[in-house]
Amino acid sequence: MYTYYIIKNSERGINLRIEAHPILDFKRGNPVSFTFDGVRVEACDNMTIAVALHAAGFKGISESMLKKRPRGLFCAIGNCSSCMMVVDGVPNVRTCLELCKDGMVVETQRGKGALI
Amino acid sequence: MNKTADICVIGGGISGVAIGYFLLKNGAKNVLLLERGHLAYGATGRCGAGIRQQWGTELNCVISKYSLDFFETAQDELQYNGDIEFHQTGYMLLISNERELEQMKKNVALQNSLGIDSQLLTCEDARQIVPILNTDNLLGTAFCQKDGHLNPFHMTQAFADAFKRLGGEIMTYTDVTGITAANGRVTGITTNKGFIAAETVVNAAVGWAQEIAGIAGLDLPLFSERHNIMVTEPVEPILGPMIMSFSLNLYCQQTPHGSFLMGRTDDAQPRDLRMTSYSGFPELIAQSVVNVMPALKNLRVLRQWAGLYNVSPDNAAIYSAASDPKGFYTAAGFSGHGFMTSPATGQSMAEMILGLPPTLPWQRMDVSRFDSGELLLEPSVV
Repeated sequence: MYTYYIIKNSERGINLRIEAHPILDFKRGNPVSFTFDGVRVEACDNMTIAVALHAAGFKGISESMLKKRPRGLFCAIGNCSSCMMVVDGVPNVRTCLELCKDGMVVETQRGKGALI
Repeated sequence: MNKTADICVIGGGISGVAIGYFLLKNGAKNVLLLERGHLAYGATGRCGAGIRQQWGTELNCVISKYSLDFFETAQDELQYNGDIEFHQTGYMLLISNERELEQMKKNVALQNSLGIDSQLLTCEDARQIVPILNTDNLLGTAFCQKDGHLNPFHMTQAFADAFKRLGGEIMTYTDVTGITAANGRVTGITTNKGFIAAETVVNAAVGWAQEIAGIAGLDLPLFSERHNIMVTEPVEPILGPMIMSFSLNLYCQQTPHGSFLMGRTDDAQPRDLRMTSYSGFPELIAQSVVNVMPALKNLRVLRQWAGLYNVSPDNAAIYSAASDPKGFYTAAGFSGHGFMTSPATGQSMAEMILGLPPTLPWQRMDVSRFDSGELLLEPSVV
C-alpha cells in the first residue's frame, strides 16, 4: 500500500558524497567500518551514523510508530526523532548526532525501544 | 445575542461537563454550558490523568469508588465514539517511613471496609509488579489494581457529546463578565457574547472558581496554585501502575502512549492564576523520580507544562448552594483530584440542584463546614 514512498535500500549504488567542494574543506576523519542490520558500511569517524548511511544509499533507517512506514534522515540536527536507531543495543539513539565508531552495530529500531 | 436557560453551568472542564450531563440525565431541561476557552482548556487538560480510590477519609473513598465504578461503564453509558482509554493498571503508593506505614495500614483497612480492593505489599511483592522500582529505602507499598489512568481529553469529550445528545448546549470562547441578581436570587449572566437569563447558575470554573464566586458577591475559602508536570519520550511499556509517594513528594506513570508523566508539589508556587512553566521543576522532579526508578535516568525529557490546583482549606472538594444569591451553586476546591471524582461531582450537584435524594453524602461537603469546624482533612495528597 505504501510502496510509493519506499526508497528501497537495495537500489543503492549512486554515490551522493561531494568529494571536493570549492569552498568547504571536509574533515571526515579516519576510516572506520560498522554494520547496519548486518551489512558492512564504510565510513569515517568524524561523520554521524545517519550521514554515513545516507551517503551509502540507505534511505530507510527507521519506521513510523503506527503504520510502520519507512522513515529516513529528516531534520539532521537531533530534533525530529526520524533517525532513531538501535546502536550497540541502545535504542532511541539519534543517529544524526552520533558519530561513527569502528565496529559498532547499528540496527533498525522496531517499536519505541525498550528501557532495559 | 441574548439567550435563556433553565440552568447555566460555568466551566467546560471535566466537572462542568459532568455536571451538565448528570443534570440532564436526572431530568433537567434547557441546560447551557459556558467555557471561556475550548473544552478542557483549564485544569482538566493539564492534569496527571490518574484515577485512584486509595484515600484516607471515608468520604473521599466513597466518592472516588462511585466515580471509578462510573468510569468502568462510561464508554457504554455515554455511547462515546472514541475510546476514553481507561486503563486499570493500578496505583502503587510508596511507604518510606514508620508514620506513613501506620497511616497506610489505617487507610487500607478503611478502604477494604468500603469495598475498595487495596492491599499492603512487601517490597518484594511490589517489585514483582514494578521490576524497575528501587525499594532500598522503602518499607513496602500500598496497591490497588482497579485504580489507573484515564484520558482527560477523551473523557471530557465523552461527557460533552452525551450532554449535547441529551439536548444540552455548549458555548465555547464565552467569558463570564457578570452575574445578575434581584431580590436575593440569581437572574442571569452577562458574557462577552450577550446576556443569558438563568435562575440557576453552577460555578464549575474550578481554577477560576473564586473569581466567579467573587463576581456573584461570594467569598469562598479557595486559592488556585500552580502545579507542574513533565513528560518524557515514549518507550515500550515497562511501568504498569501509577507510582506515588506522599513522603517523597512525587507521582509518576507511564501513559498508554509510552511516555512517562511525572509531577510533584513545589514550594512557593504562584497563586495568581499563572499557568506558565516553572524552570526549577524538571531538575527537582527528575531527581525524585530517578531515586525511585533508576532505570528512567537516561530517558529524554520532551516538555513540561503547568495547570492549577484549586485548593480548599482541608484538601477536599466543596459542593455548595449559596444562600445569597439563591440559585448560585459551586463545585470547586478539588485540591488536585477533581478529574478522578468528576462523576461524583456531576451526580451530587445534579441532586443538590434538582432537589433529589442524595446518592453520596454531599451535604457534608458544603462550604459551611469551615465555619462549623467539621473538616474533611485528607491525609493522602501530593
